Amino acid sequence: MSLQRQVMASPLPGLDARRGFGGQMSMVVRGGEFLFVGGLTAVDPDSGERIRGTTMSETRRILANIKLLLEAAGSSLNRVVKVNVLLQNMLEAPEMNEAFAGFFPEPPPARTVCGACLPHGARVMIECTALA
Amino acid sequence: MYEVITAPLPGLDLRRHYGHYQSPAIRAGGLIFCSGMIAVDPQTGERQHGTLSSEAQVIFGNLKLLLESAGSSLDRLVQVHALIHDSVEYDVLNRVYRQYVANGPPARTVWAVQIEAGFKVQLDVVAAA
Repeated sequence: MSLQRQVMASPLPGLDARRGFGGQMSMVVRGGEFLFVGGLTAVDPDSGERIRGTTMSETRRILANIKLLLEAAGSSLNRVVKVNVLLQNMLEAPEMNEAFAGFFPEPPPARTVCGACLPHGARVMIECTALA
Repeated sequence: MYEVITAPLPGLDLRRHYGHYQSPAIRAGGLIFCSGMIAVDPQTGERQHGTLSSEAQVIFGNLKLLLESAGSSLDRLVQVHALIHDSVEYDVLNRVYRQYVANGPPARTVWAVQIEAGFKVQLDVVAAA
């Protein structure tokens, strides 16, 4: 038995990870019933420029970009089953938490949050899994 | 199918106790995705800080309750992300871990990261529904 595997096209050039990461990663890949979204840091969805701000502003930007990616793949934030959040500083977890409200339906998806060292000065990185 | 798994006991609802914007677990596509579990009293939600070993025992107890309430069990774990506060304690984790997943252990990754509220371990798991 073989399940569907499909690399989903990016809706906007700034969210095209194959361009931004030299062809080494895809942002959204479908596997079976699920869409797997790679770890996103805050970028401008049109230009791909890194946007550095507060934990709250970066969280909002990333979730807005994930919304664009999922909707372009025929899914939505309402179908997210699991979110993993990496923070540069765990003391700012409440800010991240506050920024989450409004993006997801009630009740929200499952989530894990941890503090880790993130690349090029990002304060937040978010990856998620959604139903296709 | 998308189904929210609610907390089987009041203490396991981290949203209620700590405002975490998350559900305890979601069942979708034949799998159960659990939110990161920390050591809390399953009745009261009180944090139970301790050694890595004691925290892991509390977490596995809570995970068992959560998975069984959703019709799954510790024997049906597929993948585990074990987050620990310091990689020095890797062996400490293993000693507890093997008591709970004795037969056909799940795929696992261990990371040393910062965990909320100064906890020493957090388990983030996916189980077969």
